[in-house]
Parts: sequence; structure tokens; C-alpha cells
Amino acid sequence: MELRCWGGDWGLPSVHTESLIVLAYTKFAGAKVTVSPVDWTWKTLTATVPELLCGDSAVQEPTPIVNFLRKQRFNADFELSARQGADTMAYIALLEEKLRPALLHTFWVDAENYANLTRPWFASRSPFPLNFLVPPRHANIALSRILLTKGEAPLHRITEVEGKIYSDAKECLNLLSYRLGTENYFFGNSPTSLDAFVFGFVAPLYKAGLPSSPLQSHLRQLDNVTRFCDNILAVYFSSDHPCPPALVQETMDANLQKLTQLVNKESNLIEKMDDNLRSSPQHKPHRPDPKPSLASEKSSTPA
Amino acid sequence: MSLAAEAFVSQMAAAEPWPETATLYQPLKEDQILLSDCASSLAVQAYLRMCGLPVQVVCRANAEYMSPSGKIPFIHVGNQVVSELSPIVQFTKAKGHSLSDGLDDVQRAEMKAYMELVNNMLLTAELYIQWCDDATAAEISRPRYSSPYSWPLSNILAYQKQWEVRRKMNAVGWGGKTLEQVYEDVSQCCQALSQRLGTQPYFFNKQPTELDALVFGHLFTILTTRLTSTELAEKIKSYSNLLSFCRRIEQTYFEDKSSS
Repeated sequence: MELRCWGGDWGLPSVHTESLIVLAYTKFAGAKVTVSPVDWTWKTLTATVPELLCGDSAVQEPTPIVNFLRKQRFNADFELSARQGADTMAYIALLEEKLRPALLHTFWVDAENYANLTRPWFASRSPFPLNFLVPPRHANIALSRILLTKGEAPLHRITEVEGKIYSDAKECLNLLSYRLGTENYFFGNSPTSLDAFVFGFVAPLYKAGLPSSPLQSHLRQLDNVTRFCDNILAVYFSSDHPCPPALVQETMDANLQKLTQLVNKESNLIEKMDDNLRSSPQHKPHRPDPKPSLASEKSSTPA
Repeated sequence: MSLAAEAFVSQMAAAEPWPETATLYQPLKEDQILLSDCASSLAVQAYLRMCGLPVQVVCRANAEYMSPSGKIPFIHVGNQVVSELSPIVQFTKAKGHSLSDGLDDVQRAEMKAYMELVNNMLLTAELYIQWCDDATAAEISRPRYSSPYSWPLSNILAYQKQWEVRRKMNAVGWGGKTLEQVYEDVSQCCQALSQRLGTQPYFFNKQPTELDALVFGHLFTILTTRLTSTELAEKIKSYSNLLSFCRRIEQTYFEDKSSS
């Protein structure tokens, strides 16, 4: 399987949110993909990034790619209960509605950040003459998206919505922080698709060298969220350990674990039933407890 | 509204109690109002009833233009005008009425996340079905939206609104979806809501919150609105706990009016 995405910088495998989500998910699910960055190719303009190529099929956008990988049995959400799956959908919607507009604004619309960081980065990664076309195109798309979804008709001016989208984003980050608490990941001890989405959204904001960003300073105050990003980078994207070796083993062990849990539950139930039966008034023990004699026999066997 | 204006409104709101003359404005119920607006309006009405705040519902053909943000519904309380559910929830909170005070931080995060899920999936799907599906747009949405106006204004307004909504759908990435994919998304959203609700009476056990009002508004409207096909309503009917949830809220908060 081949994954086309934007390249990496600032300590991240990719600077593009959607690409980062897919990369993180492939690591969590143990899917082997060859990453081909679209930097310095004409695909920066022509291709929809990220794009997963598998055989004849090409899948775009993070959510369809995650669904496709799940169907190929690369499922990081295997251990989630139905309710946790529902929570995943809800939190992803929260990220899309509340955090994405502010992220788009920070990187693409805010004049200082765009001129000093985003445009030079994307322009330097695009071949001539695309370096003149690609950044403005992304900036226009970002601006129109913010205005269409958050702008209040009939005054479609960006200054009116700026305050609102940033306060929404700060609230969203706070909510993520409350939900994460002191855990390493959002659901238990292994990362799931929600962790991939949160990582994809938050990591660029955390790591980019933005000249002016109140949102970044707000994020840096949320210790558990920054620790979450650093932890994922260290465990899954560190160059010393290219891929955690126990990952595939873990999924098989997870199946075994579930089976063992079921069997244990059954045997617990049977034990309880047995105890109830023994202690019920109709079945007074009419023979003495044979255990002490067995123990005495066992103690006599070793020579 | 900018942040300073919002803070000012909150302060003004806190000064006075809820008056008897509060009114909620929406488009004409029989002829004009569309599915998405009706859902939002019903959600606000349910929320206000859950808080026990009296409000009169007034139908006006130009409600959309009267609204400060261009969205339906809006309420006129004292000398302030507030539109859309989230600002209205904040407004009533400033007046001292809130349904979500008993929730802790994690629960509040969950509640907001589920509200965004409903807005992101259900509301967008409703808008898509109304305006991007050609059959529904031609048969139902355009005629209804432009019914108070005479030709040629009716044509112009209807097509303008359709163009606006299609632009928005393209911007959020729903422009390329087919109707089947949209129905599938609605089904997944309902499944998530159904699993979260489980066997409880409300989403956060005993007490209704704004999430319950929002979900009720959307689901009830979808179930009771006639569209070109019944597939959307069928998707919801396959989840029995959502159906009983709607029935319960309708009986508790909306039917006592007819009996008294």
C-alpha cells in the first residue's frame, strides 16, 4: 500500500493535518504503508492529499482511508465498546467543528504566520512555478471554508468571526484536556482512531514555529495534551524504533485476552452457582469436606 | 457577535429575570418552514420548556432576515435578540437557568462533543437533502422557501439560497457525496446516539440537558416531516430507544399543553 502525503518538518512526520492523521493511524493499526511524499512534485497541485493507493483502488480523505484500513483488518479500535465507538464519532465531530476553523486561520489566514511560516514552507516544497500557486490556493480554500461555516450572513468579514473561532478552539482544547485526564491515550492503554485524529489536529499547532499564536500558547499550558503528543512521537515516530515490534502480536494477544476474559467470567459464574448450591439450606453437606484428607495425602507422597 | 458584545449582552441579561412576553420567531409553519429550520426551532422550544421558561411562538415570513445571524430560530427577550441554540443556552445561563450545571467536566465535554456530532452530521445531512438533492429541492424546498413571495422574487431568492447552501456543502467536503452516502452517515450518527443513550431515559441519566433538546428537535422533525422519500425516517425508526426517547419528551414537555 502506498500513501501519498505532505512531507515532514518541525519534528513531525508530516506537517499536514490530514496526512498526519492517516500516518498515525497506520502506525497504531500496524499497517505497512510506503510513504511517498508529494513534495517537489506536480502532485502538490493535482493530487488530493492524503491518498492511499492499494492495488487498483485509491482512497482519499482521512475518514474513508481509516474505514478502508479497517476493512483490510487493520483495526486500532478493536477493543472499544460500542459506546466508546460512539464517543469517538462525537469527539471527531467536536474537533472538526470547533478546532479546525481556528487551525486553518492560524496557519493560512493570519497574515504574520502565513507570510513567515506557512507560505515559505509550502512554496519551498513545490516545484517552480507551482510555488506561486499552491500556497495561495490553500489559503483561499481555508478562508472560504471559515467564512462559509462560521461567518454570519450578511457580513462575511473575517474580523467578525476571529474572536469567536479562537474562543471555540480554546474551549475545545480544554475539553480534550478534561477528557484525556492523566491517561496516555483517550481509551485505555493503546491508541485508537480518536488518538490519531487528535494527534493530527494538535501536533502541528504544538510543534510549528509560529511567530504569533495565542492558541499555541494556550495549548502549551495544557500539559497532558502536549505530553500526549510527545508520547506518540516518541513511541511511534522515533527514528530509533521504526515500528513498535509488538504491535501485531498485541492484536493477536488482544483476541486471546478477550477469549480468556470470557472463559474466566464463565468459570466465575459456574463457581458462584456451585457455591450457592452448596450453601443453600436443602443441600446441607452430608459428607465431610474431603480437602484436609487430600492435603494430608499430598504431603505424604514426596519421598 | 464579537466577544465584547457577547459579554455585554450577558451582563444585561443577568440584570433582569425572564419576562412573560418572550417570543420565538420562525418562518411560517404550514407553508414556508423547511426541515432544518423546523428542527432547530423545535430544539430551542424543547430546551426552553425543559427549563420551564414560557415563550410564545410567532411565525413570520421574514424571520430569517430579522434574525441577527441569519439563522432560525431567534428569541426576543426584553430588549435583546438572540439566535441559535448555543447562544440561547448561554443567554439563559446568564439569567440563572441552566440544565447542565450538575455535570462534571468530563461529562460536559461529552455533551458538547455529542452536540457537535448532531450539528456536524444530522444538520448537514438535512441541508444536503433539502438543497443538494435535485428532486427534493425542486419539489419541496424551492417552492416552500419562496412561497410568501411573488414571481420573480421567489425564483431569485430560492435559487440564491440553493447556491449558498451548495457552496457551503462544497466547502465542508459534502459536495461530492451521493444521497446513499448521506443516508449512511445519518444511520451511523443515529447508531452512535442510540448506543450513547442505551436504556437511560435521557442522555445524562435522570435530567434532560440541552443535548436531549437538540436530539429531540432533529429526530422528531425528521420523523414527522414529509419528504420525497421516507428513507431518512426509516433510518431513525430502526433504533427503538431513540423512538421511545422522542415519544417520552413529547409526552412530558409538549402534550401537557393540550390536556390543560
